[in-house]
Parts: sequence; C-alpha cells; structure tokens
Amino acid sequence: MSTVATPPAAPQGDVHQEDALGKAYDARLMRRLFQYIHPYRGLFVLSLACLPLTSLFTLAQPYILKLAIDRYIANKDAAGLSTMGLLYAASVVGDFAFFYLQYYLTMLVAQKSLADLRMHLFTHVQTLPAAFFDRNPVGRVLTRLTTDVDVINEMFSAGAMTILMDVVTLLGIVLIMMTINARLALVTLSLLPLMVLAINFFRLRARESYRLIRERIARLNAYLQEAISGMAVIQLFAREDKTFRLFDQLNDSHREANHWSNIYEAMLFSMIEAVSAISIALIVWYGGGQIVAGVFAFGTLVAFIEYVQKFFVPIRDFSTKYAVMQSAMTAAERVFQLLDTPATITSAANARVPEHAPGRIEFEHVCFAYKNEDWVLRDVSFVIAPGEKIAIVGATGAGKTSIIKLLNRTYDVTRGRVLVDGVDVREWDLAALRRRIGVVLQDVFMFSGSITENLTLGHPEITAATVERAATIVNAHRFIERMAGGYHAPLRERGNNISTGQRQLLAFARALAHDPAILVLDEAPASVDTETELLIQDALEKLMEGRTAVVIAHRLSTIEHSDRILVMHHGQLRESGSHAELVAQRGLYFRLYQLQYNRPAAAAPAELRAGAAK
Amino acid sequence: MMAAVRRLQSYVWRYRRRYLAGGACLFITATLAMSIPYLLKRAINAIELGQSSHEVTFFAAAIVGIALVQAVARAFSRTLIFNVGRDIEYDLRNDLFAHLQRLPQSFYRAQQTGDLMSRLVNDVTAVRMLLGPAILNLVNTPLYYVYAVSIMVRLDPVLTAIALLPYPLVLIVVKHYSRQMMEQTLRVQEQLAEMSSVVQENLSGIHVVQSYVAEAAATAKFAAINRRFQASSVRLARVRGRMLPVMKVAASLGTLVVLWYGGLHVISGRLTLGDLVAFIGYLGLLAWPTMALGWMLSILQRGRAALQRLEHVFGAVPDICDAPDATPLAAVQGRIEFRQVDFAYHTPGNGHQVLDGITFTLEPGQQLALVGRTGSGKSTIAQLLPRLADVSDGQILLDGRDIRTLPLQQLRRSIGFVPQDPFLFSDAIRANIGFPLDPVDDQRVHEAATVAGIADEIAAFRHGYDQIIGERGITLSGGQRQRLTLARALAADPRILVLDDALSSVDTRTERRILEALRDTQRGRTSIVIAHRISTIQHADLIAVVDDGRIVELGDHETLLAHDGLYAEMVRQQSLEEELAEL
Repeated sequence: MSTVATPPAAPQGDVHQEDALGKAYDARLMRRLFQYIHPYRGLFVLSLACLPLTSLFTLAQPYILKLAIDRYIANKDAAGLSTMGLLYAASVVGDFAFFYLQYYLTMLVAQKSLADLRMHLFTHVQTLPAAFFDRNPVGRVLTRLTTDVDVINEMFSAGAMTILMDVVTLLGIVLIMMTINARLALVTLSLLPLMVLAINFFRLRARESYRLIRERIARLNAYLQEAISGMAVIQLFAREDKTFRLFDQLNDSHREANHWSNIYEAMLFSMIEAVSAISIALIVWYGGGQIVAGVFAFGTLVAFIEYVQKFFVPIRDFSTKYAVMQSAMTAAERVFQLLDTPATITSAANARVPEHAPGRIEFEHVCFAYKNEDWVLRDVSFVIAPGEKIAIVGATGAGKTSIIKLLNRTYDVTRGRVLVDGVDVREWDLAALRRRIGVVLQDVFMFSGSITENLTLGHPEITAATVERAATIVNAHRFIERMAGGYHAPLRERGNNISTGQRQLLAFARALAHDPAILVLDEAPASVDTETELLIQDALEKLMEGRTAVVIAHRLSTIEHSDRILVMHHGQLRESGSHAELVAQRGLYFRLYQLQYNRPAAAAPAELRAGAAK
Repeated sequence: MMAAVRRLQSYVWRYRRRYLAGGACLFITATLAMSIPYLLKRAINAIELGQSSHEVTFFAAAIVGIALVQAVARAFSRTLIFNVGRDIEYDLRNDLFAHLQRLPQSFYRAQQTGDLMSRLVNDVTAVRMLLGPAILNLVNTPLYYVYAVSIMVRLDPVLTAIALLPYPLVLIVVKHYSRQMMEQTLRVQEQLAEMSSVVQENLSGIHVVQSYVAEAAATAKFAAINRRFQASSVRLARVRGRMLPVMKVAASLGTLVVLWYGGLHVISGRLTLGDLVAFIGYLGLLAWPTMALGWMLSILQRGRAALQRLEHVFGAVPDICDAPDATPLAAVQGRIEFRQVDFAYHTPGNGHQVLDGITFTLEPGQQLALVGRTGSGKSTIAQLLPRLADVSDGQILLDGRDIRTLPLQQLRRSIGFVPQDPFLFSDAIRANIGFPLDPVDDQRVHEAATVAGIADEIAAFRHGYDQIIGERGITLSGGQRQRLTLARALAADPRILVLDDALSSVDTRTERRILEALRDTQRGRTSIVIAHRISTIQHADLIAVVDDGRIVELGDHETLLAHDGLYAEMVRQQSLEEELAEL
C-alpha cells in the first residue's frame, strides 16, 4: 500500500485539540480571571457603571427626536425645538464621553490585570523544575505568556464588555419602545422570533465553519512552520513538489472553509438588514394607520424607525464577539493549566540553612531515573570531604551529569538521599543551597546584556570590583579589556559574538564571582587551540582553589590534579580512589590508564599538512 | 513599493470578472437602499395628508419587496468580493510558499522562523483584508455618498450642506487618530516582540537562572518590560477609545443639524415632515459607510505595510537553481571530486573564510571520513555537495561534471543526506522515512528502517509505522531521531550517502552495528561520513582531518596513525570514553 499525499492529519484522534474551540463562557475560568481584576475592582465597577450611561445617552437620541417632532415642530415652537437641539447635542457629547470613559477604564483594568497575570505566569515559570522544560518546548511556554494573554485581552476590548453593553442597549430599546407605544412595539418586534430562529440557523452554520477555519488555519500554520524549519530537509531530498502539494491541499481546504463562512455570514448580514427594513415597513404600515386614526403622532414613527435601526447593530456583530469569547476561554484554559503546573522542586516548609557549611557532600544509596524505571543512577553512594577535588570519569550515559544535577536539585533523587553539609538537599532552603553551589556546564549559556550583567546575573551584592577580580583570576580580564566597552561590552544572544574558549572563561568568572563553597563543573572537551587550552587549565585550577570541587573530567590534566577519582559505569559507581590507588586496584580505571598513557610517546609531530591533500 | 503594487495588481486582474460582478451587486444594493427612504417619505407624506391606509399599505409592501430583493443582491455582493479576497489570499500563500522553497539556506540563516511566519500569517491576512472588505467599502462608500447626497440635494441643498458639514471635519480627525493608532500599534507590537525575546531567552537559560538563584533579577527584568508594554497598551486603548465613537458622533451631529435646522424649515412650512424624515433616513444610510471609511483607513495602512513586508520575501533571490543549460547525467555513478574548493559566507562587511583549498577524489563506492573539531568546516564540505550553498571558488564534480551544470533535482535526489540536526516532521513515521519517495513505498520504508537499526523500535510503537511523532505525537530520544533520519536518507536508495555527525546520540555499539549494516547494503554506494567517534570510521577508505577550513591530513587509518599527527592525537584522546563504554 502506498500513502499518496496524505495531509498531515493524524489517524490518532484529534491532534489539533489544542486549537479546538470550546465554550464561549466558562464560569470557573471567569472566576479565576476575576481574581486578577479584583485588585482593580473600584475602576472596574466604575467602567461597568458607564455601560448603562452610554446606552442611556445613545437611546435618548431617538426619543428627543420624537419630542422635537411631536411637541415642537408639529406645534411650530421654534424655541422649544432649539432646546431639543441642545438636549440632543448634550446626549451626543454624553454618549461620546461615557463610551470613551467606559472603554478606557475597561482597558486600563484589563491591561493592569493582564500584566499581573503575565507577571504571575513568569514568576511561576521561574519555579518550574527542569523536568517541566524537558517536556515543554520554549516556544509553547512563550505562547502562553504572550499570545494567549493577548487573546484574553481581546475579550475585554472586543468581546465580553461590549456584549454586556449590547444586552443593556437591546433591553433598553425594547423598554423604551414598549413605554412609548406597546402595541406598535409589539408589531415592530413581531418579526423578532422569526429572525431569532433564522439567525440561529445561520449562526450555527457560521460558527461551525468558523470552527473549521480555526482548525484548518492552525494546521496550515503548523505545516508552514515545520516546512520553514525543515526547509533544508525538503531541499536536500528535492521534494519541493510533494511538500507543495500538501501545502496546497491545506491551503485549499482553509480557503474552502472560508468560502462557506463568507456565504453564511453574507446571508446572515443581509437577512438582518432585510428584517430591519421590513420592521420599518411594519412601523409605517401599522403606525401610519394609527397616526391617521390619531392614536399617536409622527415623532413616534420616526423614533421607532431610529430605534429599530439601533436594535439591529449589535445583533449584526454578535457572531464576531461570540468567536472572540470562545478563543479567550480556550486561551484562559491553557494559561491556567500552566499556572496549575506544580513547582515540584521547592524549599520544604521547615527548610534549613545550616550554620556550619564547609562543603561536605554525601550520596546515600542514590537511585535516579528521568522517567519510569529507566535508571540512570543505581545505588550510588560516596562521601566528599570539604575542600576535596573530585574528578568523575565514565562514558557518555554513565550517569556523570545526573550526579551534578541532583546536587543542586535540578532534579530530585528517585530513591536515597543527597546530603550537603549533613543536611538532605530537600531539607535545605533551596536558594541557600543553590547559592552555595556554583555550576558551570559544558554548554555555557550567556544572556544578551553586558559582560558584567552576565557575571553578576543581577545579584546586587556582587560589586564591579569583585567582577573584575574574578575575571582577572580566571584569565578573562585581558580579552574583556580588549573588547569595546570592556566590562560593559554587550554580549549578543547566547554570547554569539565571543569565542567558545572566551565563553568558557566567562563561565568560570561567573562561578568565581558568586564565590560558592562547592564548585560543580562539567568540563568542556579540550580545545585544539593550545593557547586557550592553557588559559582554561590554569583558570580551572585557580577556580577550584579552597573549594569542594566536583568535575566531570575530560582532560587528563584535570584527572591528574584531582584528589580522588570516581569512576562511573552504567549508572553505578564502580571505583573510587586516588590515581595511585586506582592504578594499584587494576580495575576499570587501570585499563583506561594503560590505554591512555602506556602508549609509546608521540614522536615529533609530523607535518603532514594539506600537502597530502594536494 | 511599486513592485508590491504591481504584484497586487496582477492578482486583482486575475479575478476582475468576479470583482465586476460583485461591484454590480453592490450597485444594485445601493440603488435599492436609496429607494427605501424615498418610499418612507412618500408613505409619511401620504399619512400626513391623511390619505387612505390603502396607499400607506402599498408603500409598506414596496419596502418589504425591495428589502427582500436587496437582501439577495447584498448577499451576492459580499460573497463574491470576500471570496475573491480569500482566493487571492490562497494564491498569495501558495506563491509565497513555492518561492520560499526555492530560496537558499543562506536566506533562512539570516531570517528567524518567527519573523517569516508572521509575514506569511499576519501580513497575508492584512493583504486579504485589503482585497476583500477594503475593496468592498472602497466601492460602497462613494456609491452611497453619490446617491444619498444627490437625492438630499434635490430635497434641500442648504440643509444637505449643513448636515454634511461635520463629515470632512471628522475625516481629518479620523486620519489624525489613525496615524496615532498606527504609531501606538507599532510600539505595542515592538514591545511585545521585546517581551517575547526576554521570555524566550530567560526560558532557554532557565538552568543558569535557577542554579545561580537569579530569579529575582530575571523577574525584575521581565517586570520592567511588562510595565512598559502595559503602559503603551493603555495609550493605544486611549487613542482607540476616542477613534471608535468619532464616526458615530459625526452621524449623530448630522442628525442634530437636520433636526434643528430642518425642523425650523418644517415650522416655517418650507419643508414637509415627510421630507425631514426622509432626510434623516438618508443621513442614517450614510452613517455605516462613513464608519466603514474610518475603519478602512487603518486597513489600508496596515495593508500597505504588509505588502512591503511580503515584498521582502518575494524580493529574495533564489540564487541556487538550475543553470539554463543544465543537462542531466544518464546515470549517476558516484565519483566525487573536490577541486581547490573555497567557501566563505558573504555577510556584508566581513567575508568569513570557512573552507580553503579543499581537494580530494572519491571513486564510486568509496567512503570518506571527515574528522576535526567543531567549527573546522567539516559540515560545510558535506553541505556543498548537494548545493545547500555554492562554492566561492573551485569546483565540485560529480562523475566528472561540475555539479552546477546538473539539474538540481537530479543532483539532490542522488544524495541521501543525514543532517546534523535530526529534523523530522510532525507526521507519521512512514511519511517521515518515506519522505524522499513519491508515492511512499512501504517495502522500501521497512528496508530502510531495518538497515538504520530502528525497525524493532518502530514495531514496538502503539501505531507502528503510523505513529505520529513530534509535539503532537510521541517524543523520541535523540538516538531514535538520528536513526529515523538515517532511514529517511536510505529510503530512496541513493548513489551517494552523506552522514553529517549523524549518529552522535547513538551508543557506540549500535553505531558500529549500523555502520556494518550500511556496509553490507552499500552496493557500491559512495559515502561521506562525519563522525565524532573516531573508532567508528577507522575502516573508511579515506580519512581527512579538517582543521580551520583546510584538510591537514589525508589518508587511511593506518597511514595517519603512523604519521602520528593530529589524527593520532585525536584517536588517543577519544579512546578514554570509548574504551570505558566498551568495558
């Protein structure tokens, strides 16, 4: 069987669930959203109070028209007419002022509460453990904080509040019409039930096609994004034709859904307009007879016509607002889901900061798995005395990195205990624990910002003098001074504008500036550039001075300079001891050592340069 | 801008018939709309004169009839024009996509995916708004004005002039506000982008933030941009809050003038009440198109900006393409020759030399291994072969022909390339492995998966080869991803295989097994392998040590070991880990 050009739809359930639209109103979500409005409830109530006022001024206008015609124009009272004119003008100004006030206040409250929500999200995300970020790509979390919050904002600017206003207005219109003349009102609105039915008919279809559009545009965009990210793959296999065909299919299905939506919406819109005109005809037909019969005057007729026109405006916009509400609820759902993700690694309630903390480390029967039963560490136990320099060696996947990640609680152990200065790390105050442990990873991460900012990471207690001293000790001062701006020289995103070796030295300086009692380091592979290599080796030695140091070693020099070596193998600690002890033990390490050192020393490096290639 | 406008014109021209039909429907709609106040006026005059309800009924019935016909015309006009907008949007998207597929990798390196997406999503939408709703209103508004004003003038020219007095004023105000709105919108968007990058960076470096307890400083940084964003959002809301009701106010002011001034005329007997009502009616008809005009101004502005941004994509030159005189090889044998190949990234200002005088020859069926540290240029050598980039100087020959004289499709389809980044599509495993095949052939997919050492794991997935992978399916380990990309490269049974550090996440034993399987199924396939584990490429026919863009050592394993240079040194360094893993 061959699968020809299946669009990237999934056979397994609805893969685009995340984009599906749910309810337009969800009481639970609304209650949670209102928690963010609560601090600004005064302003919010004020903005709500503006709603009926705005409606009042809008709806007063036709009534003033009626009075003007019936009382003054009909009675040829020019002065009275002028008064009415002024009244009308006042209502226009009031309408404008209160609309503006209402909109401004609503947006003010919305922006303030949403800024709080974003802040809440951001601080919450800061507390989430590494395991969360393993599962959730950065892009997805970013979307929650920006796009989704923005969609909720739409609810305030174009959805909920105006729907509320519309309802107030519609009720007001019916009320006024009934007050002026109940029978004419009934005749005028007699088409309403029919219209509601018809509107509902189209609205449901429009909504369905709107749902389809959302789903299809999500697919189209997802495909597009992937195609852009994977353009090299498409081009490498010269499969532009096939990829284009799939894109065209998705694009076409999106267009088709839109075509239908356009048709439904055009029909709905036209029908509302027609019903509006027919209602006017009804007013004239029935009202005309009444005027002739002397039941009421012209002004009523005019006012009714105006009211009917105002009546249909909000109905016309309803489906758009409904969609906005739906999207907002979906977005709120996702945002709260992120907020509800528990921060599993936090300080315990009775967290401690040991007074005497010289930097002793103890692993007690530690087992660790990132998930399920895939053990990365199996029953690992060792003790590191304060000030000891430890080198961890072992193959990729032996569990070296996991050891250092358990130490500062990037992850928590699955079984057993990790103790720092005699206290289980889970009982430590988390911030205090992490401040005591300086971590330098292989892949050095630099933020965009000045060198100083990157070294202090915003800790105000680290002075400029400390920064410079640290940089000098780890041999970074020289190249920093050479950069334009020195310590204020800006680093680009991820430190792209400096070399790998320089980034390494900066990471050392960063650790040193924070002066940790325990240094944890995942050594980067040796550099081919000898000069940099010497600088790094020298810096490393100085960095370890006077601290407990745990280094995942890749350099023989590091291993030789360490007090003790831990040999990891398949998640287990297989050997531990000084170089001499391990050699005497004739085990794993010894075989390694033989392989490494007992080879005949290299003769003078041959110059088999590019000449061989030419 | 001119190029953008010309491009737009060609799209519009393609759909001129439907635009015309839509326009005609708009014309009918407007004409019928104008007759309603007229009938209203006649009805009211009839009522005023106290005529029989018979006549009033007739006018009312006429309004109903017209409303119904108008509804049909209106529905057609909107459907026609809005659908054309969607059709052009569709064309535009397809054209953009096809263009993107032709653009070289250098374009993508300079461009962020997010930025491109925003162009293809938001800017295309903005252009569609221009071609649908904006065009509709562009026709509709003048039509209504011409109609209504000419009728109003005939009723009472002075009253008309006075009634319309607020409108030009309003247009000026709206234009002013819409400029302010543009500026504020732009500022808000910029700050949103800034906020996004702050968050993005923070999340990417969260391990550093957390291990140095720098959450407070990170939060303060975010709080600052969050506050700025909030402030400018509120400023935008203020402009918008003023802009939205302005048109409504204008319409109301018109009514006010008519009521007051016209009312006086009715009192003095110069105007009938029916005329006054009709006047108010016509003015009411203008309210909506006038409001739409204000809205349109912002659509026009956004559309213009969007067109320019799209032109930036359309304007990018697909410089890696078939030469005009390209002719295919009858059959690809797989002899590869690099002749003094230089390569430099030509970024404006500083050309960065990446490769310098790369020269080697691979006979069909031979294997070349490239070793060297990160950034030495190994990957670039591999990428030049399928012309992901073109050489700056020198030549690359396939079966004796400069690859630039071959059809791009033939060149690329004869190479199975496994890139460093194991990119897979969020699609079924079958579709991913079978990506080079069209149509997908299950037999070959299975064979490729077997050679790549991933078949057993696929069988263990719940949906087997139908299993969706990626964000919406299952998550694969790095090693699984790498083996899938290898299977993909093998699916089309290419003459040449390129592995760009393609098995780095696979453990040594598996890597060796895969390489053995590859050798068994090789059948004279030429291959270039970049590996960071030297032990796995010892059997290569040719090993090239690349350092700083040059080949510094070239020969087989034994020769290079005996030579005791960089290669021998690397072998020694790497043994530490590998031997341990073997124990």
